[in-house]
Amino acid sequence: RSHETPLGSSTPHASCLDLWRQRNDQLVRQAKVAQGLSLRRQQLAQDALEGFRELLHCLQGLPAAVPVLPLELTVICNFITLRASLAQGFTEDQAQGIQQGLERVLETQEQLEPRLECGLSALWDSVLHSSSLLPELLPALHHLALQALLFSGDDHLDLTFLSGASEDLLLLLKTWNLPAEESDAPLTIQDARGLRDVLLTASAYRQGLQELITGRLSRALSSLHEAASGLCPQPVLVQVYTALGTCLSKMGNPQRALLYLLSALKGGSTWGPALLEASRLYRQLGNTAAELESLELLVEALSITHGSEAPQLLIEVELLLPRPEPASPLYCGTQSQAKYLLASRCLQTGRAEDAAEHYLDLLALLLDGSEPKISPPPCPTGPCMPEVFLEAAAALIRAGRAQDALTVCEELLSRMSSLLPKMPQPWGNARKGTKESPHCPPWVSATHLLRGQAWVQLGAQKEAISEFSRCLELLFRATPTDKEQGPASNCEQGCTSDVALQQLRAAALISRGLGWVTSGQDTKALQDFLLSVQMCPGNQDASFHLLQTLRRLDRRDEAIAFWRRLEAQTKLPQENATWSLPLYLETCLSWIRPHDRETLLEEFQTSLLEPCDL
Amino acid sequence: MAGLAPQVDYLAGFCCPLGGLAAGKPRVLCLGAEIFLSTGSELVYVYDQEAGLLTAVYRFPGQVWHLELLALRRALYVLCAHRGIYCLSLDQAIRSVSQDDGDDGDSEDSQDGESPSRVIPVDPDACVLHDATLCTFTVLDNLLITLAQGPARWKVQLFECPCPGEDPRLKGQIGEVELSTPPAGSPREPAAPYFLPVLCCMSPPGSRVAHSHLHGSRGFTLEETLFGLLFGTDASLLESPVILCGLPDGQLCCVVLQTLVTSGLAPGDSKALVKILHHLEEPIVFIGALRTEPLAEDVEDSHSDCLVALGHHGRTLAVKASWDEAGNLVPELREYCLPGPVLCAACGGGGRMYHSTPSDLCVVDLARGGTPWDPMQPDRGPGGLPSLLCPASLSVCSVVTLSVSSRAPEGGTELLALSAKGRLMTCRLDLNSETPSPTRVTAANTGRKIKELLSGIGTVSERVSFLKKAVDQRNKALTCLNEAMNVSCALLSSREGPRPISCTTTTTWSRLQLQDMLTATCLLENSSDFSLDRGWALCIQVLTSSQALELDSASSAVTYTIPVDRLGPGSRREVTLPLGPGEDGMLDLPVTVSCALFYSLREVVGGALTPSDCSKDPSLDMCPLDVLPEQEGICLPLSEHTVDMLQCLRFPSLATPHMQAPSLLSPVSDPVDTFLGACLGPGSKLAGPASLRATYLPPSVAAIKVSAELLRATVGDSYSGVSLCCATLQWLLAENAAVDIVRARALSSVQGVAPDGTDVHLIIREVAVTDLCPAGPLQAVEIQVESSSLANMCQAHHAIIGRMQAPPRTLRIRGPES
Repeated sequence: RSHETPLGSSTPHASCLDLWRQRNDQLVRQAKVAQGLSLRRQQLAQDALEGFRELLHCLQGLPAAVPVLPLELTVICNFITLRASLAQGFTEDQAQGIQQGLERVLETQEQLEPRLECGLSALWDSVLHSSSLLPELLPALHHLALQALLFSGDDHLDLTFLSGASEDLLLLLKTWNLPAEESDAPLTIQDARGLRDVLLTASAYRQGLQELITGRLSRALSSLHEAASGLCPQPVLVQVYTALGTCLSKMGNPQRALLYLLSALKGGSTWGPALLEASRLYRQLGNTAAELESLELLVEALSITHGSEAPQLLIEVELLLPRPEPASPLYCGTQSQAKYLLASRCLQTGRAEDAAEHYLDLLALLLDGSEPKISPPPCPTGPCMPEVFLEAAAALIRAGRAQDALTVCEELLSRMSSLLPKMPQPWGNARKGTKESPHCPPWVSATHLLRGQAWVQLGAQKEAISEFSRCLELLFRATPTDKEQGPASNCEQGCTSDVALQQLRAAALISRGLGWVTSGQDTKALQDFLLSVQMCPGNQDASFHLLQTLRRLDRRDEAIAFWRRLEAQTKLPQENATWSLPLYLETCLSWIRPHDRETLLEEFQTSLLEPCDL
Repeated sequence: MAGLAPQVDYLAGFCCPLGGLAAGKPRVLCLGAEIFLSTGSELVYVYDQEAGLLTAVYRFPGQVWHLELLALRRALYVLCAHRGIYCLSLDQAIRSVSQDDGDDGDSEDSQDGESPSRVIPVDPDACVLHDATLCTFTVLDNLLITLAQGPARWKVQLFECPCPGEDPRLKGQIGEVELSTPPAGSPREPAAPYFLPVLCCMSPPGSRVAHSHLHGSRGFTLEETLFGLLFGTDASLLESPVILCGLPDGQLCCVVLQTLVTSGLAPGDSKALVKILHHLEEPIVFIGALRTEPLAEDVEDSHSDCLVALGHHGRTLAVKASWDEAGNLVPELREYCLPGPVLCAACGGGGRMYHSTPSDLCVVDLARGGTPWDPMQPDRGPGGLPSLLCPASLSVCSVVTLSVSSRAPEGGTELLALSAKGRLMTCRLDLNSETPSPTRVTAANTGRKIKELLSGIGTVSERVSFLKKAVDQRNKALTCLNEAMNVSCALLSSREGPRPISCTTTTTWSRLQLQDMLTATCLLENSSDFSLDRGWALCIQVLTSSQALELDSASSAVTYTIPVDRLGPGSRREVTLPLGPGEDGMLDLPVTVSCALFYSLREVVGGALTPSDCSKDPSLDMCPLDVLPEQEGICLPLSEHTVDMLQCLRFPSLATPHMQAPSLLSPVSDPVDTFLGACLGPGSKLAGPASLRATYLPPSVAAIKVSAELLRATVGDSYSGVSLCCATLQWLLAENAAVDIVRARALSSVQGVAPDGTDVHLIIREVAVTDLCPAGPLQAVEIQVESSSLANMCQAHHAIIGRMQAPPRTLRIRGPES
């Protein structure tokens, strides 16, 4: 057979081999020169890739022969390294290339026939067994095996036979004994040892992250420590430290977690994830000032766009890391998402002025047409755009800027006017043939509710009451049977939940009732409060307002009966409010809540019941 | 509308490959008087419509798949297949042209398309985005949106274009999302797709992008209502443009551009970002938007109120916004079927959409649908979509790319079109004047009139030649089909008696390459009145006994297909093929040779279904032929012949010296073995187990006894005058080449050699059987088979039994031709 012919007899063959080798070495040098971002250099790297492809075609056009195989396998390795780093990813055809290389090795051993149906692992097994007879192939084969691990991903390639019996990939990589490369071996773009180190770091980090997400915290900690102690480029180290911080804070070690987050912040230029994690940690610790400060920093950090650095033409750790998904602790979202988080936290913690400013900034960021840069909305992880408007309006009212709130509501309605259903004018002529009224999205009603509240703050009761009435009119319309109809966006299910709708109705009724109370029309107020109690029996605010109005109207018997019922209700264990309401509705509800319920109850007791006892 | 006659002007001709340009890749764009054109090759042409000459030709490093103009920045973006996107500055382009304007100002005729001096190779530095997987892109203000074929899914990516004066390279990706469907084809090697996906930008009226210059070829501004209805509240509130993707699998999906911007390299969540609007179930070739309703008086700029998407086979989707009875906003969605296959399309003013097929350029009116609005149906209202579209022909064929010119004449439309033959033309449509007013003939416009008529004749003649070719092909195919029907009828109707087309099989031993081979010769004889023409093939299936035992014998049998190229009445054709033994020296007997005639519909009809003019177009190649399944054809069985041991026996002992019978070689005739055998001399024994068995074990023997009376009845007629034993032997070996010698010598026993080289001895003798019948001994003939190989003995026995069991009629047919 061909490889058994004595070397002396194949002199022309050897010179050809030398030529190919020189070509390989030249291409490797070209690829190393081409590191960098300039287009010329990218072109150079692309040409080198084509060169490797051609060389491989040359080599594989001939029957496989042992003297040529080390070079051929090295060319495959180089091709894969360059291809993966240029494409920033791994593709199926690269894996095919590896398999073809293995089959060529077996071809020289004439063992190909029965192996074809076996899996890749079996192929490796037989290749490595047969290559023990061919020690000159071993360095290149080990390099190729490392590259094969890149493709195997999670369904890991069983290479345990390489390093004894260990199922653990990390252990396998650590104990992998790479055969020494000979000094006169053909050049490689990336040597096997470097690739092994990269693989080790990347898989430790991936494993740690996976365990962190699935909640096996102590194992995650040790894997992440492993990754941090390995050969780790600075940007990756920052990520590892952030993940360590997350892990420790989940394990209940906030101080150590903060230390890691601090070193992550010192370490690099990507501060986003660490700052977000820090804000979560401070929130957990109850340190609102620090939490908001980190969120502010996060917004600033995300506004900096830094250009991508020149990728090395090597397989690097970054290439092997999964891109952060929203579920990952390293996902920090976009600037507007961070801004929204900051604004809503300010509103929740009662810093209304700050909240208003942040909301206005956010709206400007999203809608301002003057800047050519476009920025994404808080969607889809956050609330939908109408809700952002409504929260902004709520924050403005709370900050005492009712006029601005009215402007924001006006803006929302005008922007959406073309999408709103054609309203039959209640006072006009359109009354004639309407079988049913059109459905209106709930946020339109909510806009009227907030406008009413703004008018209340401005002291214009008449306008306020008419806004509340408009809101109620829209809310009591028939809801569509088919929710798919109309301009539904993914967010609208959120505000259409039955509980939220109920609370919205109650809030509107109470608000209008309070308006009637202020303008001295207690009977009308009573009607609204009664309605709201019927509408939403769980809402105790309505009951308190009802009770107060009854007392004011001096309808004692009804008041006593109602008070008894209320007292019985308060004695019952309060069902936990598991449902969450939209933030603007929460804020709105907090305005119409009677301030000191306990004292009110006591007052009732004394003023209502004592005369009764007589 | 049937009387629509466009005024067609040929501007220039461009190089096109043999068979014409394929649709899908060529593009034509215009900016002012300049026309930018690519034909799908590496070249991009710049043509000046006013001067009437080609001003520049750029050569790119690969096929050009897409062009986009960014008029505001005076930039031309070019997608080069498997390379990436290149950016050319238009000012620079004009400057470089004006430099060499001096030396070739006289080349008025641009018929050649290019003169080599003007071809400017594009600088590799002009490449702003390297990506070999890009399939299409679009530009919008300062954004570049690309659609790439990822390893598993389609990928939409968003880039920011640099401002003029900056480094022209893209600043880097600012957003990415994967679409839910994988691209068709193998993921291994992203081959050039048959159909490129299409991208289209839709902006809301308030968008800042809409205020800027939005006359890219693929950008439209939609009315607020339709926009909000299709893309949701958030997109309308943000006033964000939306990217529509039409994929080759028929999916129409949309991505709100502003949600696509993501931080860092994290790709967007495709479930949240990508909304599937519709599935057209055929490759989408065009997405556009139209204004179907008349404009209100006080609105100055018209926004489109109807979204359209066209599939390759003509399925068309149109969406408008309307209100239901209750006043809710609902989408009105209609699907139409237009004549296909659609090569390209464009949206014009006044609710008109133009689409081109290989045979015609049609216009449909979505505002009216070709039918006047019925005032008796107030329910539908003027806003509704027509229930039916009536395409009106413009009598221009094979337009591969279209663009609505910005230099439209008053009240009409001007289309820029590139035909499959590489001709650039303008079609001017005067849609307002239904009845052309009689014009007074003046000397000045007579000349123009003649010119118009001439170019009209040119269009018509191109169309005529195309249609004629198509008709010819169809006629030819029909003739072929008719003949095939005649042949089939003749063969199938003659079940009794000799068939008009027959195939007889005989076997002989011959020497091929130092090895004796058993070959079968099939003789196809056409004694019918029809000739077997193109499309017919003779299929010979060889099935050995061991293969027949396997479950899926059809797959393991060897089938030879030999095209029958014109076999006229009365002529014959001979086909010889080897049966074995194989390399292992074994021949599994019996072997069945079945012959059949096969008529391939694909070969004959396929050509007619595909107009040859556009045969280069892969889309056309693919689609009509999909109607025919892979194996579609007519199969007519002719004959079946079984080759058994008795036919394969050779008798070297009978060979007369002067006949120079070839000395038998062992089937595996390794010359070295022969040489070694010769060296060892006759005394030595081969040490194989077979030869050991041959030496030390007694040969296997089988005997068959047959009633002499029955045998005599069977063979009697033709073998009178010889003893029954001799007659029986001749009968058994009737199909063997040695039968003549056996008859001549009147042998009753014979020593033969089986295909694998072992001896087989046939001995026939008359015996009396005493123990069967009480009336006395019966006269019988004993056929004894003797062989040192059990397998050969069994095969010979099987063959003899087969002769016995065959019906007498067959026996007689197989008798010698004496």
